[in-house]
Amino acid sequence: MKVHRINAVIVRHIYESRRNFDRVVDMIWWPVLDIVMWGFFTVYLAHSNRLQPTVVSCLLGGIILWGTFYSFQRDMAVGFIDELWCRNLINLFSTPLTLAEYMAGLLTVCLLKVMVGLIAASAIAWAAYSFDIVPWLPKLIPYMANLLLFALAIGIAITGMIFRYTTKVQALAWGFAGLLMPVSCVMYPMSSLPRWLQNIAWVMPTAHSFEGMRGILNGEGFSRLHFWWGVGLNVVYFAMAIVFFGWIYEKTQNRGLLVKQE
Amino acid sequence: MLVEVENLSKTFGEFRAVDNVSFGIERGEIIGMLGPNGAGKTTTIHMILGLITPTSGRISIFGKSMATHRGEILEQMNFTSPYVAFPWRLTVLENLKVFARIYNLKKPRERIDELLEQFGITKLRDKAVARLSSGENTRVGLCKAFMNDPQLLLLDEPTAYLDPEVAWQVKNALLEAQREKGTTILYTSHNMAEVERMCKRIVFLHHGKVIAVGSPIEITQALLEEEREEPALEEVFLRVVKGKAA
Repeated sequence: MKVHRINAVIVRHIYESRRNFDRVVDMIWWPVLDIVMWGFFTVYLAHSNRLQPTVVSCLLGGIILWGTFYSFQRDMAVGFIDELWCRNLINLFSTPLTLAEYMAGLLTVCLLKVMVGLIAASAIAWAAYSFDIVPWLPKLIPYMANLLLFALAIGIAITGMIFRYTTKVQALAWGFAGLLMPVSCVMYPMSSLPRWLQNIAWVMPTAHSFEGMRGILNGEGFSRLHFWWGVGLNVVYFAMAIVFFGWIYEKTQNRGLLVKQE
Repeated sequence: MLVEVENLSKTFGEFRAVDNVSFGIERGEIIGMLGPNGAGKTTTIHMILGLITPTSGRISIFGKSMATHRGEILEQMNFTSPYVAFPWRLTVLENLKVFARIYNLKKPRERIDELLEQFGITKLRDKAVARLSSGENTRVGLCKAFMNDPQLLLLDEPTAYLDPEVAWQVKNALLEAQREKGTTILYTSHNMAEVERMCKRIVFLHHGKVIAVGSPIEITQALLEEEREEPALEEVFLRVVKGKAA
């Protein structure tokens, strides 16, 4: 892998983000809007004494962390779809740029974008609802890392699908994470799910991260159990995503689909 | 030989797009690839670029196998086609800067300015690609294609959207690159007069097969099956399309 080629991909997507209002909306608008809307909801519940203060923190923390997960997964896939929309794939891959370098560049850009969204959402939560996530961050970072790893695995798998089926499956970029949200227990503890759904939630790294986050915000401390479950599941999902992507990329090249640009 | 293509075939399901194609390209040569739509020209170019995996056969460039040395080979070659595009929100300069980084140019800005001037689009430097005409877009593609001073250049209908004056400029730039830097060029076009002017040798494809290889006059005589004093590629082309040759 050559750093200058990874930099080229980073620069390409930074230029795009500067000039494309859609990317600005994705990066800042939705995280901020989510936190504003859910923030008012928690204010309403808190004023009518329906909530304990820690529940408010858990809701706002959940929204911020889900935003991080969702943005990262979506931006990975959308970054690639952008190349299809622009018919730029042949230009890129007829150069020495390798797929691994392209993905590494895209991943770096996604991390930068997620940071911007996270900072914006956290600032609103702090300014408008007195929820300061910063003191919790040292303990939350391992869970956030697990969320990002899972987002990366999903992003890789969806990008593979888009490689193979092109823009016909582009809705997955925005919609797939929504499928995972109910079993990720973003707003509620895992125990509130029916037993059969709890079994599914246990194999979701996201659910373990949100359970862990709630434990921290409720003052129960860092749960190694949820952290290591998340790590273990991520290793499995990440390996599966890489194998799937390699297999589908080979098929794509065999069928000449890399040059079919729609 | 700079490029050696041996027994190259590509099938998509039941359809045989390229059928046992073999040809070579000498260093410093401009070679034309002709054939009607669907003859297998673009598929062959995409296989040479490593974008499509051949079903069988071998491609060797600079003495190295494309299958195992793709990155190394692509450092020294380039490609353009008016049918591919650039991110349209980025300016011409931004797009070219991205490719300058990919090729790790030492003085990217100087090289970009030089190329913009060579293809007469300096004034478009800060314009978004979305606002360019097809001909202007083609010229941005050519700037990209010359970015790394390639030893081998694959050009898929490079003058397709250009007016005669700009097409003339482009052809001169290609001939100059070949003359002064020894650039080897594989060239496809539907403009037969242009191919006659540019190419010493032609590979003629039809239904995925090579039906003739040689100079324009050799191709003319071989496919029209009669003695001629001047090349007549347009006539050859029409004869092939109508199924009266090969």
